[in-house]
Amino acid sequence: MGFRVLVPMDDSEMAERALEYALETHPDADVTVLTVVGVPSMLMGDAVSLALEDDLDEASREHAAPVLKRARAVAADHEQEIDTTVGVGHPARVIVRDADDYDVIVMGSHGEHSADVTRRFLVGNVARDVFRRSPIPVTSIR
Amino acid sequence: MVETVLIVGVIASLFVGFNIGGSSTGIAWGPAVGAGLLKKTTAAGLMTVFVFLGGWTVGRNVMDTLSGDIITIEISLAAGVAVLFFIGLGILIANVFGVPVPTSMTTVGAIAGLGLATGTVNYETIAWILSWWIVTPIIGFWIGAFIGRYIYPELNRRVGIENSPGPLLTFDRSGGLPTPALGPNTTYRELVSTIVVLIVGCYMAFSAGASNVPNAVAPLVSSGALEPNPAILIATVAIGLGGFTIARRTMESVGGELSDIPLLAALIVMITASTITTVLSSMGIPISLVMGSVMTIVGLGWGRATRPVTVKEAVAGEAGESEIAMGALTAEETAGTQPRPIGEAERSEVLDARDLFNPGAIIKYISMWIIGPTMSTALAYGFFVLVPGIA
Repeated sequence: MGFRVLVPMDDSEMAERALEYALETHPDADVTVLTVVGVPSMLMGDAVSLALEDDLDEASREHAAPVLKRARAVAADHEQEIDTTVGVGHPARVIVRDADDYDVIVMGSHGEHSADVTRRFLVGNVARDVFRRSPIPVTSIR
Repeated sequence: MVETVLIVGVIASLFVGFNIGGSSTGIAWGPAVGAGLLKKTTAAGLMTVFVFLGGWTVGRNVMDTLSGDIITIEISLAAGVAVLFFIGLGILIANVFGVPVPTSMTTVGAIAGLGLATGTVNYETIAWILSWWIVTPIIGFWIGAFIGRYIYPELNRRVGIENSPGPLLTFDRSGGLPTPALGPNTTYRELVSTIVVLIVGCYMAFSAGASNVPNAVAPLVSSGALEPNPAILIATVAIGLGGFTIARRTMESVGGELSDIPLLAALIVMITASTITTVLSSMGIPISLVMGSVMTIVGLGWGRATRPVTVKEAVAGEAGESEIAMGALTAEETAGTQPRPIGEAERSEVLDARDLFNPGAIIKYISMWIIGPTMSTALAYGFFVLVPGIA
């Protein structure tokens, strides 16, 4: 197995730039894009709608589809292939837990959850939490 | 002079009511409008009517508490206007930063701040209100969790909420009187579910009126500057205006998030929250619709997410040995029967719905509701201490 790069992505443009950087800097690596759904929000709408589904795996992939589609488009632009994976709940927690299977994390310094006060309070600064707790090196894109 | 102060006060009331109209119309009608069952203007119209009914009947009990029971003296007109400004400030902060601040909490906080500054707080009433503020979200969470765990899956199988294209009803005008008939694509089930959604929306609007009308006017009613009846009318007009204007936006933001969840779940949440709000309002306890709603939603999701494990294990945050084995078995099965789409990485573990509601996140979530009223009490206290002339 080659060098494995984990790129956590959300809706933000910063996340897209992180993926571009990862593809350009590690052209021969296995790049995996991770997106987290059911992230806490003011009324927990996304999380609750996932919890009420019968098939969590399928529902999560549906919720993640827009982000993963964009990720594949970026990869296609760079003529590279990527793997994709989906997590649920708190982004930083999921990213850190998955990190053991990879050699490096490449991510944006701030994403969509920094947009408003409620989300920043509930979700926190994902990049900062990942830097603090990640067992593997983290590259931050600004 | 008194007239000028009263006019400023009424303008502040209108501002508060206008914003309350915006946010509560979003919660009460967001799901129905999101599902395309009625137009935004129809929703605002129904909102205004039922807010008035709620404010006129049950709301009087809350009005009495706010205007007479929280502090031992009456709120002077000037102090009432200042209190209204703090309520408005709370709403403004909520709107600008997108932080949910329950208006009932801000109102009680601001009046209590006035009481602290003048040494007239009725601690017995405050303790009574606070205890219900603590108990209510727990009740909402418990009801939500119970339904989510034991009733929702079965209910979801039996009740299908449908919405077909085309008009719901057509009117046959060939005879003397127009006779209603089902629309081209309408089934009886759809007609019934649409009626249920409408009734529940009206019920929620009623409870919003009962709990929120007093917030906009009680500080002016206390001194007798405004009689309760015209005060209720002023609040209704302001809330209605908010419903017809800014609610278009909140129906998409707050209501939009509510319509992420299935309509059946939204209805369960709305019925639970409205009942809690109406019952507490009739007891004279100021409570915001959003407090009951939010914890019922979280409870519903949590209850459903933790259904494979017992409540005891879920609370302790650990699944039994057998559960882990079960999980592994299901994972194998899924991998065997349903090949993952191309480009999908193999996960080392299956997705666990419990990750959506870990205890840490829920505690953080609850703390969000404690910050608002604490801030409003502190601000009002500081103001009335620094400017003693007004109180």
